[in-house]
Amino acid sequence: MLELTDVRKRYGAFELGPVSLAVEDEILSVLGPSGCGKSTLLSVVAGIQSADGGGVELDGTDLTGLPPERRNAAYVFQDGALFPHMSVRENVAYAAVDDARVDELAGTLEVGDLLDRDVSTLSGGERQRVALARALASEPDALLLDEPLANLDAPIKRRLRFELRDVLAALDIPVVYVTHDQRQATTMGDRIAVMRDGTVRQVGTAEEIFERPASTFVAEFTGSVNLFEADVLNRNDDALYLGWGDAVVEAPAYDVAGERVYFCIRPEYVMILREDRPIDERDNVLAGTITRRVYQGDDYVVALDVDAVEDPVEIRLPTPVYERLNLADRDRVRVSLKKRAIHVIDDAEGIREDQRTRFDGGD
Amino acid sequence: MFRTESTTETERQTGWFVVGASLGVLLLLYYLVPLGALVFAQSPESVAAQLGSARVLSAARNSLVTATASTALSATFGLPLAYWLARTDVRGKNAVLTLVLLPLVLPPIVSGMLLLEVVGPNGLGAFTSLSFTRSLLGIVLAQTFVASPFFVVTTKAAFESVDRHYEHASRSLGKSRKTTFRRITLPLAIPGIVAGLTLTFARAIGEFGATLMMAYYPRTLPVQIWRSFLNDGLNAAFPVAIVLVALALGALLVINAFGRNPWRH
Repeated sequence: MLELTDVRKRYGAFELGPVSLAVEDEILSVLGPSGCGKSTLLSVVAGIQSADGGGVELDGTDLTGLPPERRNAAYVFQDGALFPHMSVRENVAYAAVDDARVDELAGTLEVGDLLDRDVSTLSGGERQRVALARALASEPDALLLDEPLANLDAPIKRRLRFELRDVLAALDIPVVYVTHDQRQATTMGDRIAVMRDGTVRQVGTAEEIFERPASTFVAEFTGSVNLFEADVLNRNDDALYLGWGDAVVEAPAYDVAGERVYFCIRPEYVMILREDRPIDERDNVLAGTITRRVYQGDDYVVALDVDAVEDPVEIRLPTPVYERLNLADRDRVRVSLKKRAIHVIDDAEGIREDQRTRFDGGD
Repeated sequence: MFRTESTTETERQTGWFVVGASLGVLLLLYYLVPLGALVFAQSPESVAAQLGSARVLSAARNSLVTATASTALSATFGLPLAYWLARTDVRGKNAVLTLVLLPLVLPPIVSGMLLLEVVGPNGLGAFTSLSFTRSLLGIVLAQTFVASPFFVVTTKAAFESVDRHYEHASRSLGKSRKTTFRRITLPLAIPGIVAGLTLTFARAIGEFGATLMMAYYPRTLPVQIWRSFLNDGLNAAFPVAIVLVALALGALLVINAFGRNPWRH
């Protein structure tokens, strides 16, 4: 187990921490925007940078103050950092216990055919496989990966994401996977830690992070486009009633302190209701006008102008569903925001407008 | 209209290219022509005659021995300093670097005077039986003083060009600082270090001003050239100069041959 306790590091105006994390023999994705301190955190764990305070323990051994070579935590760099004056085999064998292990790992990572090549001839994806093989050959007690797929083209990134997941999941050591890409974070991580401005904002499974974000920042950063401000009108044991524009939204009974809250619902949970269906038992039915339909490759994103509020609602539809609905711009539709899909955030941090566009991407 | 404008732009760029290329070629000719004159102005017989002369032979031997020793000394003392300069962030680093550059800006004859003052009969020489002047040792001291900054500066740049990621990767793979230096940093810096050795050797074998002050005897080739020129004129000095140039070029070829990636099989 890798355990960080109140780790702090300051340089210049930036301050990391205090960060406390416990990583079992699992993959922990550290997700955050550039400059949030996630790479610094990784290099502090590796001993490349020394912490200003706090402790790092690996399998019960206190790593604080130990040089990198005595930590047994292998670091995989964004560019692979393959030694350019060595062949692929020499790289993998650099810290390997024996040659058999080199061949075994080359097989696992499918770089067996590349062993006699010069590293300068490798593609980006091949470099990362070799870098991982080299790291694993040193028999580390923990593996630290810093955006290993960031420099790759989309198709290779996608394929390697799943392959890498299989290799990493088979390891019985703590693995920390740093990325700014939510797809990678969810594919790789058994759990995800979301970071911002040097601190960890939320740790949990992908489902927890994506469906029950602890703050508006986490909601925004994980792509919750339907994030709205509302007033608490009333509450009882089973429900919280939120005033959202002219509409009243019934949400699960969250224990919130303030009168002003945020609620979010993931676009794939917004249901479009067919005209011929009874609507009695549906939750939070709202009427609106369709303003935009965009094909995304995997699915359709439909924007709906809800009559009762100014905020647009985004709806994500699998392609077959979209085709069955036969929608057009300016169509009038009714949607249901299912009560149990609504998540309420009692958060003073507020939404920063600039994040809306900045964190839109990710592939 | 647009077309005319873009044509003018292309013509202007071509014009600048021609100017730049001509300037470069002129400079290269300025290097090459005197060297050609040195080689072709001399009859092979006169060069051969000089080669046979005991004085030139002994000067050639002295030059080769002292320049090699100076280069080795520069590398031995300069390598750790260059590595430290490349990797440290301490305050005062620039002061140290300025100190390293000092011998480069001093006129060699002044360097010779200063060295003479420090290690000559009135300095260190008074306390030891070692002769720091009028000896091969004196020549080596003079050459090292003048030439070693080339090694330190070039090698520092060579170490700086090695991405620290490689060192960090090596150490996170469990290799000590020492092993990392030996197997990663040094091999990657080798081309730059060889360039540093080359410059240092070239500067050392051609050293004249400081050497003249420290040791008129035993003679190195540059001093011998000076001596032949004073006694018998330019034509007598030329063949010795050819010997020096041939020796220097030969030595540089040897260094570079060794430097061609010795860690690669």
